[in-house]
Amino acid sequence: MANNVHGHGSSSASLNAPVLAPGHDFETITEAVAQIPLAKRTPIGWVLGFMGAFGLFMMLQAALGKLVMTGVGIWGNNVPVGWAFDIINFVWWIGIGHAGTLISAILLLFKQQWRMSISRFAEAMTIFAVACAAIFPLFHTGRPWLAAYWLFPYPNTMGLWPQFRSPLIWDVFAVTTYATVSIVFWYVGMVPDMATMRDRAVSMTKKRVYGVLSLGWRGSARHWHRYEVASLILAGLSTPLVLSVHTVVSFDFAVSVLPGWHATIFPPYFVAGAIYAGFAMVLTLAIPLRVAYKLEDFITMRHIDNMAKVMLATGMMVAYGYAMEAFYGWYSSNPYEQFMIWNRMTGPYAWSYWMLIAINAGMIQFLWFQKVRANLKLLFVMSLFVSVGMWLERFVILVTTLHRDFVPGSWGMYYPTQWDFMTFVGTIGLFLTLFFLFMRFVPMISMFEVRTLLPQAKVKSEHGHGN
Amino acid sequence: MTTDTYHSPESVSGLQKLGIAAVVVGLVLTGVGYSMTGLDRFYQAYLVAWTFWLGVALGSMALLMVQHLSGGAWGVVLRRPLEAAASTLPVMAVLFIPIYLGMHDLYHWSHEGAAEADAIIAAKAPYLNTPFFLGRTVFYFAAWILISQTLLKWSKQQDETGDPGLADKMAYLSGGGLVVYTLTVTFAVTDWLMSVNPHWFSTMWGPLFMAGQGLAAFALGISVLVMLSKTAPMSHVLTSHHFHDLGKFLFAFLMLWTYLMFSQYLIVYSANLQEEAPHYIDRNNGGYEYVTYALMALHFAVPYALLLSRDVKRGIGSLRVIAVWLLVMRVVDYYWQVAPEFHKTLSASVIDVALPIALGGVFLTLYAMRLKSHPLLPLNDAGLEKALTHHVH
Repeated sequence: MANNVHGHGSSSASLNAPVLAPGHDFETITEAVAQIPLAKRTPIGWVLGFMGAFGLFMMLQAALGKLVMTGVGIWGNNVPVGWAFDIINFVWWIGIGHAGTLISAILLLFKQQWRMSISRFAEAMTIFAVACAAIFPLFHTGRPWLAAYWLFPYPNTMGLWPQFRSPLIWDVFAVTTYATVSIVFWYVGMVPDMATMRDRAVSMTKKRVYGVLSLGWRGSARHWHRYEVASLILAGLSTPLVLSVHTVVSFDFAVSVLPGWHATIFPPYFVAGAIYAGFAMVLTLAIPLRVAYKLEDFITMRHIDNMAKVMLATGMMVAYGYAMEAFYGWYSSNPYEQFMIWNRMTGPYAWSYWMLIAINAGMIQFLWFQKVRANLKLLFVMSLFVSVGMWLERFVILVTTLHRDFVPGSWGMYYPTQWDFMTFVGTIGLFLTLFFLFMRFVPMISMFEVRTLLPQAKVKSEHGHGN
Repeated sequence: MTTDTYHSPESVSGLQKLGIAAVVVGLVLTGVGYSMTGLDRFYQAYLVAWTFWLGVALGSMALLMVQHLSGGAWGVVLRRPLEAAASTLPVMAVLFIPIYLGMHDLYHWSHEGAAEADAIIAAKAPYLNTPFFLGRTVFYFAAWILISQTLLKWSKQQDETGDPGLADKMAYLSGGGLVVYTLTVTFAVTDWLMSVNPHWFSTMWGPLFMAGQGLAAFALGISVLVMLSKTAPMSHVLTSHHFHDLGKFLFAFLMLWTYLMFSQYLIVYSANLQEEAPHYIDRNNGGYEYVTYALMALHFAVPYALLLSRDVKRGIGSLRVIAVWLLVMRVVDYYWQVAPEFHKTLSASVIDVALPIALGGVFLTLYAMRLKSHPLLPLNDAGLEKALTHHVH
């Protein structure tokens, strides 16, 4: 299993592509990756991209400023749809983060070598996505400086605020654990590369900054030993988090009694959807990134192909979830369940349901074809569509259930306001801003891990192979 | 090394004899049990036994398709045991006949007049009616037998000709086959197991049983590989590295099953709705609560704690004990899913043990026959060399 580098009995080109293009040695790998943050001149493309992202981020600040000064009334949520963009966007961002954890933790435990060159920026994506997600539960309280009072799981001696039977409180536990472990894992994984940066930096300031960040790493055998143990433990800790975080997010809906929310399949269906959305985002980032920074030798067609396959597999699971919701919605013989499915398919929000089906159950079927998986432009567009599809999924779950509940007299419609859109698009700005900073200042690819893919490294590893 | 033909050792014939003995013992016990408790308990116990062993075959077929897609050393060494299990499917189809004969005892909705007396059954009648039920069963088996027999045929051709194109063909069929497997098994367990209580429904039902099938398939595969690892030729092939990997998969499926079981429980418990809650009320009363506790402790906690250890996964004997144990617990799980729908108080009888033994005997006999007649490793698999040197990497 470990050395399944050359694909398994298939003649297709992408499958046989290596995880590292031939012709490299230790120096060329390090140079290719380390020169990006160390370069004196900031590429003009980066500056333009950053300005755009930062502009959107400023818009987020404005939207949140307005929210804090005015109150949550500026959003479109109102009876009967009391929960809308805030939780849709929260779930969307949290889901996107999952691919990073899966790549860095589960694929590490399964000794999949193709994870090495994509793990660093996928983990960065996770952390930035969690940061964007956290904004929504925090600000939907309207008074975020009081949020700790309602959300933070402090000792509840007064029996007053935190409702420990509510999955929203479990969310706080789950997401803070997730953010903490992800940041630690990401940072620990970066320490050896930070030392490389320190050693290669020319300017004193850079030497100092990378020197502090590398925590005195000298690359001794003892350091490496500790490093290996630490990363294995962190991978072990992260693995249940891949499942638990989105499971708890699904409980936000599933433990209720509302048709369309209360479905036992929600936990695995949400987890699959999260990984699906996450891999789509990794592809969205990786495809332009490898071209812009000439990293095609490290993020090869093999990576692209594997990620597209994961996207197909998890997308099929999500589509299975839709099929089950529809079938058991009918099979339940519960008139409210049946109405919910019918309303989704034919009600005022039917457009969102059918767009979602067209993307997440229809479009992804093209990924069965190797030619599609090898077409980068097409794959890039498809990955953007998947992000749209997964956003729509949460929109459908939220709005179609809430806007028509058990009593027709209380039915209504939901219309998001400009502030809803500004906040949502603003978090995309925050995400991209952080990602641009990451690209400029941190080695995007784990240099020391990719170096172990070289044949020169294999000879040594025969003796010291820890398992 | 690859010129070896990997003929099966004597122990496989032993497995076949064990299977035949189990048939005999199982049938005798079934006779005893039948005379004690009659036809009604027979069908209920038969449903448990048949869905369990069919689940082993189907789980093996699914894992076979997964390994055709993923490759990896675990798949190469496990492929022949998985194929042997999948080869039992035609006979498993024939063994549906008693379910057909017992439909009246098993499925309340099949009674004449049931729909008039119960609005929920009436609403489900377009799906839950005898002709459609039987038609679906025929369709499920046609699909499963077609997929499994084609894969077995190509695998045999691969041994004989070494045609490299066959691996691609098997991979393509497996991709589509897994989609077919997922959908058919979901509806099959809805038909055969969920509809014993026509009021109960859960969207988790399909994934729950698929996880159980995967767990059982790994458990059986590991048990048989441990047996094969004792003598030549496989004693030269299988190392603790293989078992470590397989042990991890067993562990992963054990956790998956537990995760799905717990999620379903928590969601139903929290909502406390009248259509769903009775499912657990029945299983937490009348003595079934002890079965519930037993499942929590012995199907999850104990094997979980043991499988955490690297030494247990690499210790070949200890892994086999856990694998066989989990197979037994899978039967208990099926019993727990089925029995409370028929008897509100726990009253297990001889026949509940006899039929899993008898059908297990049929399964094992066919399984051993298949294993005996083919090389124990896929001779021309592209990953064979790597799998044989798994410890070196």
